Amino acid sequence: MASTTNRKVSALHSLLAMALFALAGWVGPAARTVSATPAVRRTEALYDLHEIRLKRQDGQEVDLASELGDGRVVFLNFIYTSCTTTCPLSSQVFSSFQRRLGAQAARVHLVSISIDPEQDTPERLRSYAAGYSAGAGWQFYTGSVAASIGAQRAFDVYHGDKMNHVPVVFVRGAGAQQWIRLEGLVSPDALYREYQSQQSKQPRTVRRRTSHAV
Amino acid sequence: MNQSTLWTGLSAMALAGVLWVQAALAAPTAPAVSPEALNLAEHIYREGTLPGGAPLRGLRSEGVVLEGALAACVNCHRRSGLGEIEGGINVPPVTGDRLMLPAVVAVGDSSTPHAQRFASNRPAYDAAALARAIRDGVAPDGRAFSTLMPRYRLGESAMQALVGYLLHLGTGVQPGVEGDLLHFATIVTPEADPVSRDAMIAVLEKFFAQKNVLIGGASRPMRTARTVAYRVATRWQLHVWRLTGDPTGWGAQLDDYLRREPIVAVVSGIGGVHWQPVHAFCERQAVPCLFPNVQVPVVSERDFYPLYFSRGVLLEADLLAGALMLGHADLPVAAGARGSVRQIYRADDVGLAGASALADASRSGGRSVVSTALSGADGVAALRRAVAAAGPGDDLVLWLRPADLASLPEHPPMGAQVFVAGLMAGLESAPLPTAWRQVAKLSYPVDLPDNRRVRMNFPERWFQVARIPITDERIQVDTYIACAILSEAIGHMQDNFARDYLVERIENLLSHRLVNGYYPRLSLAPGQRFASKGGYLVRFGGPGPTDIVLERGWRTP
Repeated sequence: MASTTNRKVSALHSLLAMALFALAGWVGPAARTVSATPAVRRTEALYDLHEIRLKRQDGQEVDLASELGDGRVVFLNFIYTSCTTTCPLSSQVFSSFQRRLGAQAARVHLVSISIDPEQDTPERLRSYAAGYSAGAGWQFYTGSVAASIGAQRAFDVYHGDKMNHVPVVFVRGAGAQQWIRLEGLVSPDALYREYQSQQSKQPRTVRRRTSHAV
Repeated sequence: MNQSTLWTGLSAMALAGVLWVQAALAAPTAPAVSPEALNLAEHIYREGTLPGGAPLRGLRSEGVVLEGALAACVNCHRRSGLGEIEGGINVPPVTGDRLMLPAVVAVGDSSTPHAQRFASNRPAYDAAALARAIRDGVAPDGRAFSTLMPRYRLGESAMQALVGYLLHLGTGVQPGVEGDLLHFATIVTPEADPVSRDAMIAVLEKFFAQKNVLIGGASRPMRTARTVAYRVATRWQLHVWRLTGDPTGWGAQLDDYLRREPIVAVVSGIGGVHWQPVHAFCERQAVPCLFPNVQVPVVSERDFYPLYFSRGVLLEADLLAGALMLGHADLPVAAGARGSVRQIYRADDVGLAGASALADASRSGGRSVVSTALSGADGVAALRRAVAAAGPGDDLVLWLRPADLASLPEHPPMGAQVFVAGLMAGLESAPLPTAWRQVAKLSYPVDLPDNRRVRMNFPERWFQVARIPITDERIQVDTYIACAILSEAIGHMQDNFARDYLVERIENLLSHRLVNGYYPRLSLAPGQRFASKGGYLVRFGGPGPTDIVLERGWRTP
């Protein structure tokens, strides 16, 4: 009997603790447990990338839409260089994927946009890129806080704060409009499979373009 | 948070409380490990360096290999070992006190709120199970970890040391904690301006007094059925550590204070030109130090414990260097017309450090630099001579307080650009003579007055209610914000006041804040030790005496 009472009291205390915790406004995003690897969720979407001006790691100001529209397959993610948990994994995955592409790497544009642009100066991005042995086709972008938030909003990954970011990779085929959105911890192999599936669509696009030119 | 989420959370907590009762709490003890082994393991854990200097290697699934610093445990599990939630991924605690208990306890253990959802029902770890987890990535019950957790190949002795280190983590005493009473200190050096110092201490004392009245004195700490106090309500005690004499003696004085009055953390501190001994103390003694008011901080972002709101005059030097077109070519200037960078500062004030940083930047930008250090009562005459020496093409940079600015001659030198270090000058209230106001450009490393008006509303009301006269608004607001940050971080720690964990909480929580007083944003992360990172360049303009207009938008140098 006493034990039941104790349990009730304890539950009440816990409720109170949780209520205080909630009131304090510090409740984080829903978290996955680390003991099970979450599956990757694959969806397709259109994103409006109008008027997003970013700064590339070489200091050049660029328009994001035209930066991504040079005819290469695009793989895009959001990172910040001080992040120690998921971003290093995302960057390792990009790094392995780029190595794996080998000679085909020239057909792929890997894009990493900083979500901590005040800290991530072009200089910091260059040294971060070197740390992951980024090849020429993998470029990093920063800019004003507003521009970075604009890019995150455009891709529907803005969660209000850098600590709340979630791992997502966006893939778009050469000349395509539709983006593939891969949410979760994606492996280099999975990215390579996406690349291959984009390649299998590629000839149609090329033919169509050729006929236009003729 | 919507209601249904809240209720889900509440029922989870209710369940947690029940589970707590059911768990048999055996007092865990860490196995004995030699100090040498702990030291070796610390290098593995924090730096990813194996005994002998080889890099630690970890393997993630599908062949991704991590090496050295990238493979270090600290990246995810943090220095405290208490883990975190980032990117929606829950990194569980790896501290001995938790590992040696069945995880079912951790469900209801609100001392690590970020670990609440780590409800795996795993059995307790022992040394062998922990080694297997590190090597093969499996929990004691055989379940595999996430791909985020690398599998590590470690030699026998390195593994033994690391396991010993983990089982020891979190089992030591927490300094500055006496039951429900937490001790904090603030540091005052003899170089502090008396008005600013008293303004800062008044805010701290009032904040602490209110905290104890509103929370600690009025409610009993919550306890679980196992009578383990949650200490949601803590009382705070402030110690004011006043330093005396030469800066060379401050380190020993601080060590002595700490020995007599163990504390959880230092909240705010105020001084002048010399801050290095205080910074070094925080790092040496592993004491978290939150410094909102330091004008010449030590720039060493590899250090863990000292956290600053801003780089102070060093940030202003960078902003002014940008304005002098050393790094940027955004201000038009006639080619070939560049004279010297002429700086004026007080020999015993913080402008000295700013001027020195700007001199370095100017020289490396190919400019000649002329510096004038004012001292004592004859400063005004020297100030006027230095101004008169400036000519066309020169850039005159003033690192001066209001009293000196008010003593400037009526007219600025013809043909020279005039730059003023904004914070020292009093921002838009700088008492510049009328003719100077028309040409002067101010570094402005805080938010613009219109933008900050709303954010200042909250601290200003607090001062009103607390009956604290505004004697140095910026110092008082920044001190208040620092107290609020500390209070939120401590509140979030709930029952675990490990110093390392406090730093990690502040790092993670800071950028969620909206009320930041003078600053548009405050944000930290591992390796980031200055929360506000940029500033504007402004000039006077508009009908009002303190009206300013933007010369250049917010830049991060």
